[in-house]
Amino acid sequence: MIDVFWDGLTGGFEGVWILARVVIPLMVVLEVFKANAWLDKANRVIAPPFRKIGLSQDGAFPVVVASVFGLTFGSGVILSNIRENRLSDTEIRISGTFMALCHALIEDTLIFAVLGIPIWILVVPRLALAVLASYAVLWFFSVARPRLS
Amino acid sequence: MVDGEEEDVMTVDGAILRRGLYKGIVTTLELSKVIIPTAVAVTFLDASGGLEILAEWFAPLMGWLGLPGEAAVVLFSGYFINLYAAIGSMTAMNLSMEAMIILAVMLGLCHSMIVELAISKKAGCPVSYILPLRLGMSLFMGVLLGGMLQ
Repeated sequence: MIDVFWDGLTGGFEGVWILARVVIPLMVVLEVFKANAWLDKANRVIAPPFRKIGLSQDGAFPVVVASVFGLTFGSGVILSNIRENRLSDTEIRISGTFMALCHALIEDTLIFAVLGIPIWILVVPRLALAVLASYAVLWFFSVARPRLS
Repeated sequence: MVDGEEEDVMTVDGAILRRGLYKGIVTTLELSKVIIPTAVAVTFLDASGGLEILAEWFAPLMGWLGLPGEAAVVLFSGYFINLYAAIGSMTAMNLSMEAMIILAVMLGLCHSMIVELAISKKAGCPVSYILPLRLGMSLFMGVLLGGMLQ
């Protein structure tokens, strides 16, 4: 009984140690990002390709925040941004779709990468499916739905 | 917050680094509250034979995803709690690299549903849309990778 408990406990602490090595440096890096307003700058560079899936520069910003910070840590910025910029219903749905499938790319990728899983297989499917799904939403809102009504 | 508008001067000072370090440690402590209990619970489940029973139950379903039955526990702790709980239960099992890859890809697409569905909803996307989207994509990748890696 005690043995089992001990096994579980040491396993758990090993897990915590693995993650501490990812989370602590990551939080330091993210603070530096925030302090330098690097995300606003990055958004200007990253936004153009997002136009192809129907997102303006304002619409792409929450997606960029979510990709770097994640939905939970980024939620404050994401929600206030969506509210302030008065995005269209289509843009809200597209950015929501993209964000749901593809976010916290640094954190989610690193915590599995430390277990020995190749990084590309953690990133490429999420990115590809997010682009495909967003494109499908754009098509639905701009082509399929107008034709139906 | 400093706004580095003018030239590309990078602002890094002790206060920023300390804030990051503090947040990192607080987050790690928060995570340990999830990981350690999950690891202990799954180890007990394993030692009591419960994991084997669950594994047998879920084996047919998990087989579709190219996963052993006990991987259902990893999948559920990731879907319902978060990725850290999933890793907590992974460390309590001996999974093959193939199984870990399939689980990581599936869980990357769909995880922490209790917290994240609420955030998506606040961002303007209803649960009735995001839940089938994420679960569907996750299962799709599971079946695809399961077929490829088996």
